[in-house]
Amino acid sequence: MNFQLKNIAAVLAATSLFVSCSNDDDNGSKVVEGAVGEAELFFDNGMAGDALDLGNAYTNSNGETVTVKKLNYIISNVVLIKEDGSSFVYPKAENYFIISEEKGQFTVHLENIPVGDYKKVKFGIGVDQQRYLEGESAQKSFWDLAYANDMTWTWSIGYRFINFEGTFAETSDHGRHEELPFQVHQGSNSATDNYREVTLDLPTTARVREKELSSIHIMSDINVLLDGDTKILLHDNLNAGGTAVSIMGGENLIKIAQNSLKMFKVDHVHNGPGSHHE
Amino acid sequence: MLSPLLFLISCDNKSDYEEVNARMDFKVPSNFPALAQEIDRNYPTERGFELGRKLFHDTRLSSDGTVSCAFCHEQASAFTHHGHAFSHGINNLEGVRNTPSIQNMAFQSQYFYDGAAVSIEMLSIAPIHNPVEMNETLENIAVKLKKDKSYVELFSQAFEDQEVSSNNILKALGQFMTMMVSANSRYDKYVRKEPGGNLSEQEKSGLELFTQKCASCHKTDMFTDSTFRNNGLPPNSKLNDLGRETVTGFASDRYKFKVPSLRNIALTAPYMHDGRFGSLQSVLNFYASGVKHSETLDPLLNANGVLGISLSADEKEALIAFFQTLTDEEYINNQLFYFKT
Repeated sequence: MNFQLKNIAAVLAATSLFVSCSNDDDNGSKVVEGAVGEAELFFDNGMAGDALDLGNAYTNSNGETVTVKKLNYIISNVVLIKEDGSSFVYPKAENYFIISEEKGQFTVHLENIPVGDYKKVKFGIGVDQQRYLEGESAQKSFWDLAYANDMTWTWSIGYRFINFEGTFAETSDHGRHEELPFQVHQGSNSATDNYREVTLDLPTTARVREKELSSIHIMSDINVLLDGDTKILLHDNLNAGGTAVSIMGGENLIKIAQNSLKMFKVDHVHNGPGSHHE
Repeated sequence: MLSPLLFLISCDNKSDYEEVNARMDFKVPSNFPALAQEIDRNYPTERGFELGRKLFHDTRLSSDGTVSCAFCHEQASAFTHHGHAFSHGINNLEGVRNTPSIQNMAFQSQYFYDGAAVSIEMLSIAPIHNPVEMNETLENIAVKLKKDKSYVELFSQAFEDQEVSSNNILKALGQFMTMMVSANSRYDKYVRKEPGGNLSEQEKSGLELFTQKCASCHKTDMFTDSTFRNNGLPPNSKLNDLGRETVTGFASDRYKFKVPSLRNIALTAPYMHDGRFGSLQSVLNFYASGVKHSETLDPLLNANGVLGISLSADEKEALIAFFQTLTDEEYINNQLFYFKT
């Protein structure tokens, strides 16, 4: 008897899962007015469709083989948007996060979100100029966090929005050339605002419910930074001695900012209790 | 002498933070342009200012405890490092640029010769972290200061969150620098028609020349338009300082440096971003006959195919006489900025 009840419960649970999966608008769980739930953005870093593995080499369409040693970026100003266009802007003071491949920090955790069905997510890459110009009074302890993650600039004071470092080699008919180090540090400076925002459609509705966690799984294609709509050849940016590449300013950062608009895509959304990403 | 005494007394009485920590009186001088920083975000309070002043003079801000802000920014020289082309930081390491003066900071929108900072609260990050200046981190300074009771008390009185933190270190220094206003030179009194504002005939003709030949860049009573320009200095081949390009990454910014204010200029020798000129006479000689052409040379210094600024010997003398009127004795002697233990 007991066994049967368990089975029925399992079948019921499975059925309700199916229903909610196949029908985005089914509000299986109740939306309680004034209630709040949690959500997270999970960033899954990759290189042109391949999973990113630090230390492994990837060949891009620029004819260069890139080995990533370090990757981190700032995600900020997260907004969740409903179908009717109404939105929930996460509180500004807590709306700055660091994703770090080498430290295994992949999630942006959001609390106290009004329950509801969200269809889009919007966020910024880096620190917006408004917040930056507000100085330390507004940034609170974000400087310390960013400093600890090597995401600050102290010679041109500000934040690195994206740290992308490793080695590269040219590949040609004559084979692979020598491996040379590269550093791409994306950020704004007092001449150029390179902060950008993206708005992404959710293929499945993010259903934020009380005591539940809606997890938005985002694929981040790091390859587009140099090999996106605009191509940036590392070889073209070698220093005078031809020993290394440092991209930290000028037109390149504007191109990278433009390319980063296509860096993110929501792959899927997990809803319901216990849907934390491992 | 009364107000420092009051400070001391109130120090011992930490009963109510509200009353102790009064807002300071910040006034925009009538001949000044509008503020370029939003000071209301971090409005100077007595405690915040006092803390900022203490930090400004504290060698614990450097990694080996040898260098304070005031080490390179001496009040008597309008907060520059008199006689040093380049300042030396920790371990006697030498920088590549001449110490800029600190004055009227809240009226500026760009800091340092290359615009490395745009916020009065953030700018202290650069010298603190520079490996040849203080070579320290904000977080570590906070760790050191937490061990000092007098600091713990001051921070708790100065800021609502009461914490000894990176954030509050920068804010206190920002408050101190906000209050550093130099607006009482003889020239200021002259334009405001105040007592003591008398200029000699030579000084007046210097001012007139200045208005004609220099004020398109050294604009307003700030004596700078806060832009970055290549004034035609031949680059120092040993340093090859790219100037503004260092920050922006644009080749079009090569060899451009921020137009400096000329306030207290008679006190701030040596001159130019690399301190290459020892006297104002040399500076004017350069503008008259030393300007070198290059791709990014400012067009104002290449008008009608003539490089530089035409200046006769008499004109140079008049300009130098005028520059002396920009010295603000009250500022360099203001006890408010002294460090007192």
